[in-house]
Amino acid sequence: MSVEYSVPSAPSVGSSGFAPSTPSAPSIEFEAVSFAYPDGTQALVDVSLRIGPGESVAIVGQNGSGKSTLARHLNGLLRPTSGRVLLNGLDVREVHVARLAERVGLAFQNPDRQLFAGRVSAEMAFGPKNLGVRGAALDERVSWALDAVGLSAEAASNPYDLGYSRRKLLALASVLAMRTPVLVLDEPTTGQDARGVARVKAVVAAAGGEGSTVLAISHDMRFVAECFGRVVVMGAGRVVLDGTPEVVFAEDAWPALRATYLEPPLPAVAGARLGLGATPTEAAFVAALGRASAKSL
Amino acid sequence: MAIELSAVRYRYAGASKAALGSVDLRVEPGRVLGIVGPNESGKSTLCLVAGGLAPRVIGGRLEGSVRIDGADTAAMRSHELAQRCGLLFQNAAAQLSGTTGTVFEEVAFGPCNLGLAVADVIERVWWALRTVGVEDLAPRHPARLSGGQAQLVALASVLALRPQYLILDEPTSELDPAGTALVADALARVARETGAGILLVEHKTDVLARIADEVVVLAEGSVALQGTAAAVLADPRLAELGVEPPARVRLEREVRASGLEWPAALAEAIE
Amino acid sequence: MFQASLAAGRGLPEYVTRRPGGFYRSVNPSTKLAIAALEVVAAFAVPGWPVPIAILALVVATAVAARRLRGLLMVALAASPIVGSILLINLFLLPGASDPIVRIGPLAPTWSGLWFGLQTVLRLFAFSAAIALVYLTTAIDDLLADLARRGLGRRAVFVVGAAVQMVPRTVERAAEIVDAQRARGLDTEGRFWRRARGVLPLAAPVVFGALTEVEERTMALEARAFSAPGRPTLLRVPADRAVDRVLRWAAILALVAVIGVRVAGRLG
Repeated sequence: MSVEYSVPSAPSVGSSGFAPSTPSAPSIEFEAVSFAYPDGTQALVDVSLRIGPGESVAIVGQNGSGKSTLARHLNGLLRPTSGRVLLNGLDVREVHVARLAERVGLAFQNPDRQLFAGRVSAEMAFGPKNLGVRGAALDERVSWALDAVGLSAEAASNPYDLGYSRRKLLALASVLAMRTPVLVLDEPTTGQDARGVARVKAVVAAAGGEGSTVLAISHDMRFVAECFGRVVVMGAGRVVLDGTPEVVFAEDAWPALRATYLEPPLPAVAGARLGLGATPTEAAFVAALGRASAKSL
Repeated sequence: MAIELSAVRYRYAGASKAALGSVDLRVEPGRVLGIVGPNESGKSTLCLVAGGLAPRVIGGRLEGSVRIDGADTAAMRSHELAQRCGLLFQNAAAQLSGTTGTVFEEVAFGPCNLGLAVADVIERVWWALRTVGVEDLAPRHPARLSGGQAQLVALASVLALRPQYLILDEPTSELDPAGTALVADALARVARETGAGILLVEHKTDVLARIADEVVVLAEGSVALQGTAAAVLADPRLAELGVEPPARVRLEREVRASGLEWPAALAEAIE
Repeated sequence: MFQASLAAGRGLPEYVTRRPGGFYRSVNPSTKLAIAALEVVAAFAVPGWPVPIAILALVVATAVAARRLRGLLMVALAASPIVGSILLINLFLLPGASDPIVRIGPLAPTWSGLWFGLQTVLRLFAFSAAIALVYLTTAIDDLLADLARRGLGRRAVFVVGAAVQMVPRTVERAAEIVDAQRARGLDTEGRFWRRARGVLPLAAPVVFGALTEVEERTMALEARAFSAPGRPTLLRVPADRAVDRVLRWAAILALVAVIGVRVAGRLG
C-alpha cells in the first residue's frame, strides 16, 4: 500500500476575473547545442532534442553527464557555445533571464541555495512578485502552491525550522507558485522520504494534467519509469537514448544504459528474465505476468 | 563490546518536544545496523547522540546513557571519542578539512592531529585508502572530486583514526546510483575486513537490503520496528510508517496482491 | 614532544614532499616574511628618497628573477586607484604648502604637495610590492607549515588555511545562488534600484549556507581529533637552510636597528 496524495487543481480561469494563470506551453527545441564551461569542460556535445507542448520528459544520466547543464539552458542561465535553444521558435538568447522566468520555472536541487526569507509565505511570494503578481491573485497562488505540497500549515514558519525534505518541497512550491507553462525539476526526489516522493509525484501529475510541460532531471529510475512518458538518457554530454520508458528500459537498451553507469528499474529486469517483454513499472510487470499466466492456463 | 544506547531521550535546546524518546540500541563490531524512518523521525539526532556529539557540541538535554565498549561517552574527551567512533554526514564537502592540497594529506589530517610519528601516519593513510578502495585518488585535490569520491575520501579520513565503530548519516543521499554503489560496497568491505561496527542511516532501503545485518525503524523519535534486515524490510507495516520497502519486496507484494504467484525463476535471477 | 618530518621524507609520496623551486621561491617562507617586514618598515621609517627607491628596485628585481613580474604589475594596477587618490590629495591639499604650480580657479596644486605626494606614493608602492612578493613566491601551505613548525597553534593554521580555500568555494556557491534566484525572476540585469532589491535574496543564502557549514565543519573537525592535546605531526615542512637562517636573522636585526634608530631620532 503506497502513500497517495492528490493535488488540488489550479485556480480556474474567468471566475475571479483574472487573466489565465498559465499561458499555453511552448514547444522547446535544442538545435545542435554544444556547451563548454569556461574552464574547458565540454558539458554538452551536439545535442538535438525536440520537446512538444505539454510533454512530460525525464532526463537521466550520471552526475556529470550534462543533464543539469541542459536544464540550465532552458531558462537562459547558460547560453550555448554553439547551436540554438528555441522556445516556440524564439531564440532564448534574445530574452533576459528574468523574462524567461515567466515561461520556464526551474526548481534547484539544493533548496538552501534559494531560501532567504524569514517566513514561508514571504519565500513563496518572491517568485510571483518578480513576475508582477500582486494582491488577491498573489495570495491565491501562494496558498494553492503550499497546499499542493502539503505545507499549508507552515505558512508562518521560518523555512529553516523545516527539515531538509520539507524545505525542498518548499523550494518546489515557490517555483510552482510562478505558474510557468514549463516546469523543470532538478533532482526532486533526492533526499526525500516516501511521503515527500509521493508529493512530488502528485505535483508532476497535476502539472502534466493541466497541460504544462514538465521536465525532471533525476537518477531515480523508479520515479522516472512511473511518472514520465518519455525518457532521455544522457552520457558524456550526448543523448544516448530517447524514448518511452518501455523502449529505454527494454533489454536491448541495457548495454547503452550501463555504459552511462545506470541500471534499469527492477520490474524491467524481472520482466526481461521471464521473457515478458518491456515492463518498466511494477504495474506493467504485474499486468504482463497476469497475461502470461492466463495464457498458460 | 558494543555501542549501547540505554533508555536514551534527547531534547534539543529550546525545543518543545523530545527528538528522541526512550531508544534502546546496540551496535556490534563487524555488524551493520541500518536505521530507517521518515524525515524528522530522529535519525540524524540518533547519529549525533550515538556519536557523542550531542549534547557536547550542539547542546540540548540527554537522558539515559550512551556507552562505547562500556565507557560513558559523556566522560570522554573529543579526540578519544574520535578514535573510538567515526562520524560521517551527508554533505561530503563540508567534512573535508578544506586546508589540504592532496587526498593523501587530507586522510592524514586525523592521525597528524593525534601527533603520531610520521611512519605511523603514512601506514594508516595507505591502509585507509586501500580499505576504502581509493588509493589512486591520493594525489588529487580534495575540492575537485565528484560527490561519490569525496564521500569515499571522507570515509577514509575517518577510518584513518582506526575507530571501532562508524556512524553514517545518509552518506549516499546526494550521490547518483554509481556513487551509491561505491559507498555501499566500501562500507560492507570495511565491516568485513576491519571488524568495525557500523550504524548506517539510509533512505535507500535497497542499500540496506544489500549490506545491513539488522534494521531499526524509527518513527517520531522511538523505535517502531527492530529485527534482522530481511525481516524488517519485508514487514508490511513499513509503508504506513513512511518508509519505502526495497524494490524486490515491493514487486513481490504487488504480484501477490493481484492474486498471482511469485515466479520461482526470479528468486535466483534477482537478489 | 615536537614532531616534524625530517628531510628524508621516506615513505611520503613525492607530491606531498615536493619542494618549491625557482629563484626566491625556494627561500624559506619565514625568511621571506622577515625580509618583507624589514622592507615594509624601512619604506616608512627612513626619511628621504633613496631607501624607498632602493627597496622598490630590489623587490622588482627579485620579482623579475623569480618570473613573477606580471603578478607584481597586477598588484600595482590594483593599488593604483588608492595610490592615485593619495597623490591627488597631497598635490591639492597639503597643509601649509605655499608654492603653487599653477592656479585653476579655486584649485592650486603645489610643488611641495607634488614632492611629498610622490614620495608617499613611492613608499606605498614599495610597501605593497614587498608584501605582494611574499604572496607571489610562497604557497600558503608552505607558509603555514613553516609557521606551525615554529610554534603557531593548530587553530590559527586551520583558520588561515581554510579561509584561503573557502574563497573559491564561496564564490562558486554565490554563483549558484544568483542562478537560483534569477530562475525565480530576480532581475540582475535591469535598473539599479531593481537590482538593489536583490541584495537580500542573494546575500541571505550565502550567509545561511556559510553558518550551517560552520556547524557541520566543527563537528567534522571534532571527529578528526582536532582538539587532541599536544603538537600535531607535520608532514611537509619547507627547508630551512643555513643561508635562509642567516638572511632571516640579518633581516630581523636590521629591522630592530631601523626601528631603534627611528625611535632614538624622535627622542633625540
